[in-house]
Amino acid sequence: MDQEENIYNLIPREYIRPPKPPRYTSKFKSEAKDDIIGGKQAQKTMGPPKEVVRQPAEFLKKNEKHPPLPEKKEFKYPDSDKRKPKIPPTDEKPVMGMRTTKNFITQNAVQNIMSVAKRPEKNYVDTRKGDAHALPPSGLEPKFINRKDYGEVPVYLHKRKEDMERAQQEYNAYVAEHFRRGAMEQLSDEIRQHIIDGLKANWEEIHREFQGLSVMTDTIPKKSRKERMEAEMAQLEKDIELMEKHPVIFIAN
Amino acid sequence: MVEEAVNKPVLELQNAIGFGGTVPNGLKVHPNRQSLIYPIGCTVVVRDLATNKQEFLSGHSNTISAVAVSKSGKYIASGQITHMGFKADIIVWDFETLSMYCKLTLHMVKIQDLAFSTNDKYLVSLGGEDDSGGSVVVWNLETKEAICGAPAQVPSAGVTHCVTCFNEDDMKFATGGKDTLRIWQLDLPNRKIRPTDISTGQTKRVIRCLTVAHGDGMLYCGTTTGDIMSVFTTTFKMQTFGPEKHPFSLGICSLEQLPTEEILVGAGDGTVAVVQGPNKRFKRTSKCVKVKGAITSISLRGKGHQFFVGTDKCEIYKFNFGDFKPELVETCHHGPVTDLVFPTNCPELYVTSSKEDIRIWDANSARELRRFTVPNMECTSVCITGDGHLIVSGWTDGRIRLFLPESGECVHTIGEAHNLGVTALAVFSDNRHLVSGGKEGDVRLWRISKRPYASKLLHDLHEHKAAVTCVTLKKDDSECVTSSTDGTCIIWDLNVDKPFRRQMLRLNTLFNNVTYHPEEHQVIAAGTDRKISYWESADGSLIRELDASSTGAINALDVSSCGSFFVSGSEDKLVKVWTYDRGVTTHIGVGHSAPVAKVKISPGHNCIVSVGMDGSIIRWKMPGGDEE
Repeated sequence: MDQEENIYNLIPREYIRPPKPPRYTSKFKSEAKDDIIGGKQAQKTMGPPKEVVRQPAEFLKKNEKHPPLPEKKEFKYPDSDKRKPKIPPTDEKPVMGMRTTKNFITQNAVQNIMSVAKRPEKNYVDTRKGDAHALPPSGLEPKFINRKDYGEVPVYLHKRKEDMERAQQEYNAYVAEHFRRGAMEQLSDEIRQHIIDGLKANWEEIHREFQGLSVMTDTIPKKSRKERMEAEMAQLEKDIELMEKHPVIFIAN
Repeated sequence: MVEEAVNKPVLELQNAIGFGGTVPNGLKVHPNRQSLIYPIGCTVVVRDLATNKQEFLSGHSNTISAVAVSKSGKYIASGQITHMGFKADIIVWDFETLSMYCKLTLHMVKIQDLAFSTNDKYLVSLGGEDDSGGSVVVWNLETKEAICGAPAQVPSAGVTHCVTCFNEDDMKFATGGKDTLRIWQLDLPNRKIRPTDISTGQTKRVIRCLTVAHGDGMLYCGTTTGDIMSVFTTTFKMQTFGPEKHPFSLGICSLEQLPTEEILVGAGDGTVAVVQGPNKRFKRTSKCVKVKGAITSISLRGKGHQFFVGTDKCEIYKFNFGDFKPELVETCHHGPVTDLVFPTNCPELYVTSSKEDIRIWDANSARELRRFTVPNMECTSVCITGDGHLIVSGWTDGRIRLFLPESGECVHTIGEAHNLGVTALAVFSDNRHLVSGGKEGDVRLWRISKRPYASKLLHDLHEHKAAVTCVTLKKDDSECVTSSTDGTCIIWDLNVDKPFRRQMLRLNTLFNNVTYHPEEHQVIAAGTDRKISYWESADGSLIRELDASSTGAINALDVSSCGSFFVSGSEDKLVKVWTYDRGVTTHIGVGHSAPVAKVKISPGHNCIVSVGMDGSIIRWKMPGGDEE
């Protein structure tokens, strides 16, 4: 190999780019050309295309096959309405010449006057040095909703109700006893009903006659007759009402 | 040297491979983001990053030791080293015209560091150790005069290593060194600079590099301990130092502040990392990459989106801050180049040898193609077999190593080839035989065989009394000539059965180089007597002598293949082109910053390539119309 080494090889030579090999042409080119020109059409070899090819203008676009994403919403914290507004940045400058009309002194005074005094905190102190702890969570203060009889009717009301019922019964018994001792006859329901029906039949009889009266009451007998019938009907109505009004009717001797 | 250069036509410089990687913070990216500025020996190179075009700023008389670029990019300043007792120059260059703006001379021996003030009004220079213990001088760039100077540190402190100016205040700068860290204030009306010493308390550090943070509030100091110290510039108090946990090995050599608080760190072990600012106690970040050699300079391109890193192995890496990976942009030898050879009839490549490695370069693009490394050894000579299958190299450990040129595999080693080291080599044109010269003066003839690679010593020729410097063969391998530092050149008959001495050429010189004329009836030799001598090869008689240089020895010779002209490279940093017949200098190449070690004419007469002792390789355009 060292025989090849020669100082004359070091002479800088301009690099001559070797000529490119001729372009490749397939030897089947003429056959393919004949095939195309000579007749076989594309569909005749493989059949019609199974799928409709898209137009070039309707090329496949990005994410076309994916379901559309929901529209972008600005992110909000769930408690964003409760949050305080952001503090202004350090480099923010107030708008020149802007001045508030609010009278902070008066407003503050009014606010304080109107405000309800704060309730003192409920604390309990357990050491001599005065270590204060909140009372409500400690359990030392009784809570009414935690009582056993919370929400129930108090016993004294039950008692009172019973007392009243007993007094009524005693009274009823007394009256019954009294009636029994007085021996007043009570009108039975059938008789009472019978009387009411009789009265109503009478009223209807008179009412029928009253309807049959002549329109003109030009004579005195007509007038007196009508007045009489009216009076009778009124009397009957009054009686029916009386009878219907009282379910228990005693007949005095 | 200068007057000769003026009289003769100058060789046109095509490109230079080189990078003075040992100069601290010598590599700079110009603020226009387009140019890379770095020193090669005694020249400053301005290289366009897009076109790779190089411009050379030469004017220094010796090696450059400091480079600075002003913040606007208008000025470049460079400082040099000189011999002991002489004054070292600072040259300020105008970037637009790439010409010398002014020469500032006040410091002795060495310029340690330079820095421009932020609005280009002043230049602050720091003298070396021999400059009365280091002194700081502030120069006015408009008037080109010194404003004032002062000793850089108190006498009890050590050497000051670095200076940097503040980013916003023209009047302030800082210096740092061993046990000294000072911030200076310039008082212009009184022409004074006033220092404020910064006490670092218990932490004793040697500061090697400085950088000022944005806004001038903080000063970062890179230390030899491997951590960064930060100091308040207003209160003059130390703030902190770090990273505490894993300081950078071999110290921090370079720091760059990034536009952010972070800091880019270059360390002595080759780590490039990013550390955090002082408020994080310079904690390391994950950005951390290691390259070869010690980082000597880091320079950001623009704001730092890209940055360039220079190492003392003379390599430039490009980093982009984002990926933080190194990309090799430029390489060069980091030791003196010892030999240079072209493959037979191949002007596109050349092979150089140097300390530790042999490299193959592309001549046109100046790109390194291959590198064969043998650690801690110096390759003294290299040659290539005529068929190009082998690179044969001689090394200072006395071995001859055979490399395959592409894979770089060392296929065979001739151990103990010369006991004081191999100094010269030549390969027969049949690629089977080898002549080597050694430092002890022996010339040996070897047979090498391939598959399997083997070698056999055929003959040992004892004639030379000192180191053999050059071996040159005739084309038909029947004869060779060797030069030696004992003052002789010997022409040998290379009969493989019984080689013998034919002629001996004597002269009162240390011969450095000898070569045949292509027609092989004459040899020319050169040596330390600064002369080139022509000899008759048949009878060894001296024909004539030429005065080749006024100051330095001749190190290298190469005759053109047509035989009409030859080139010489000499100790005085010049490359000269001569006509062979008339012996007249026709062209002079000025550009090397160190003695020229070897020079060669390329096989096709396209160019001349010369290599220097500073590791640089310069390619010169072949002058036209002088082939007579």
